Amino acid sequence: MMQQRWAVVAVLGAVLLGACGGEPEEPTPVVTAPDTAAERRAREAAAAEAARRAEAERMERERAARDRAMEEARRARETIAQRVHFDFDQSAIRPSAEETLRRQVGVLRAHPNVRLRITGHADERGSTEYNLALGQRRAQAVKDFYTTSGLAASRFEVNSLGEERPLVRESNEAAWAQNRRAEFTIIAGESTLNP
Amino acid sequence: MKRTLWLAALLALAAPAAAQVGDTTQLPTGVRLGLIYTPGMAQRLAVRPVEAAGAGAVVATQATEILARDLDFSDRFDMVSTPAGLVAVPITYGPWNDLGVAYLVSGEVTPEGDEWALRVVLHDVTYANVMEQWTYRLPSPADPAFRMAVHAAADAIVERVTGQPGMAASTIAFIRRTNGRYELMLVDYDGENLRRVSVSDDILLSPAWSADGQRVAYSVVSDEGNFQIQERLLETGDVRVLVNRPGLNITPSYSPSGDAVAFAIAAGSGTDIYSYDVRRHCCLTRLEGGHGRQLSPTYSGDGRRIAFNSDRLGQPHIYVMPAGGGESALISPFVYGEPGYYTSPDWSPTGSLVAFHGRSRGNFQIMVADADDPDALVRQVTADGVSEDPSWAPDGRHIVFVGRRGSGRGLYVIDSSSGRLRPVVLGGDLVVPDWSPTLVRASDLALDSR
Repeated sequence: MMQQRWAVVAVLGAVLLGACGGEPEEPTPVVTAPDTAAERRAREAAAAEAARRAEAERMERERAARDRAMEEARRARETIAQRVHFDFDQSAIRPSAEETLRRQVGVLRAHPNVRLRITGHADERGSTEYNLALGQRRAQAVKDFYTTSGLAASRFEVNSLGEERPLVRESNEAAWAQNRRAEFTIIAGESTLNP
Repeated sequence: MKRTLWLAALLALAAPAAAQVGDTTQLPTGVRLGLIYTPGMAQRLAVRPVEAAGAGAVVATQATEILARDLDFSDRFDMVSTPAGLVAVPITYGPWNDLGVAYLVSGEVTPEGDEWALRVVLHDVTYANVMEQWTYRLPSPADPAFRMAVHAAADAIVERVTGQPGMAASTIAFIRRTNGRYELMLVDYDGENLRRVSVSDDILLSPAWSADGQRVAYSVVSDEGNFQIQERLLETGDVRVLVNRPGLNITPSYSPSGDAVAFAIAAGSGTDIYSYDVRRHCCLTRLEGGHGRQLSPTYSGDGRRIAFNSDRLGQPHIYVMPAGGGESALISPFVYGEPGYYTSPDWSPTGSLVAFHGRSRGNFQIMVADADDPDALVRQVTADGVSEDPSWAPDGRHIVFVGRRGSGRGLYVIDSSSGRLRPVVLGGDLVVPDWSPTLVRASDLALDSR
């Protein structure tokens, strides 16, 4: 991922240099005699065509690099935004959630300026007040996963909204499973994800 | 504690099949269905229509209705309606005695400046004499204080007859959730005078009355991560921040003296109970209550103990400790290996009973434990539908809770002695009710004796 980022910088640098470099590069004329007007026109046309093709290829490469960078940023955002879910009345990280968290750790390592708010949520069962504390524990469990993976604790805020902001407003097992979750909000360094 | 565990181990050996996890037909071990036994039969009481001359008639009619309903709702009396022949005639005790009436309430409304005076007379029919009479200042019926003044008269009657406090002059605070917004609501104990105090996009929870009935504290949780406990002065609407520490600041509860607010801070992976001096606005103190995560403190009526919630056994249970922190005792039913989930404690203002909700037969129901007798069986006082978030009335006998019944979802009041249930506010997503202390006393409104 780091290499890709450097590639983007290199391409951008080339564009900038090209923009302020003044004279566009022209192919060195090949001197041959005799030189008729028709031959000269043909040579010039061929040279112009070659320059156009080179320019098109350069733009294509640039566009592909930009697309790759944007795709990478999109994936990074998507990875960070991925929710993790919990068992009833539990704040332990499920094995199935560990994979998601590991991918997030990868993205966060690559973007050291990104700071996150981790918000824990609970399903509607149990007491309103107890669920606030439960959400807090869930958010903290995620933060603990990050910090034991080597990320700085100062990059994370933890927060709980208890059962107050359900994802699915229904009262059944499927809805409850969706609602027992931790969510992520980028609170700083978001621009560093941009290409 | 040890004894309970011991017993649990024995039970587990003796009857493994009886303690099936997830069995929804059995009551949890250590819980019995039952009401709180109070000796004595309800005695008959009649409220004779309050008399008035001229313009006072409307006032008198309303006062009569409120008095009769309050005394009925007190669940202390067997109410008898006044026969037509006994209205507005000189009182003789014979006919009332024939009706089996033990106590008779009569009264009179007279003009008093721009307002009114209400004279209430409590008769002891059996002994054929006047037990007591009071004369109160009564605002006009358009004034919100009118109903409270009559409620205060009803409470004075209950107290004079039973020796125990009434609950009529009180208000219930609660939160209404509407489309993701949070409304701090108040309603008089009888379901009248429903009003919104404030509305917020932030999450408001756990309203708690101050002992003087003038303030309500509550926790505020914003989506952006701003957590604090605020206090609202009801008369002026002024709001101040009581505590604003890093982490969630939740579940406030005033001490009966009004000096302190106990609450929980959830920060990191811990949740601990603290007290804060609200008079001097200082001195945050962590109350050491044993291990585990702790929240939802509630002071005893004498202010010397605190009941609270802790998950130290793996699931939430209810404990009691000294108000300054210290050794704690489990009071909710615990049997090793059986699921238990007991939360939302509220300590009765009049004694040693603590109400909370716990899972029973698959649903949450209201239960009552005696903090002075932790080994006694816990009584389950509701059995229908779903019942959560109990709060005691100032009489230490009635309990308001969030209920789901065939009759609807909302706030209900149950008499923990008789089991009589009545809805207070139905409809909407209503949570975390807190019943105020007595807000108005008859003595506060007394006119010179005449």
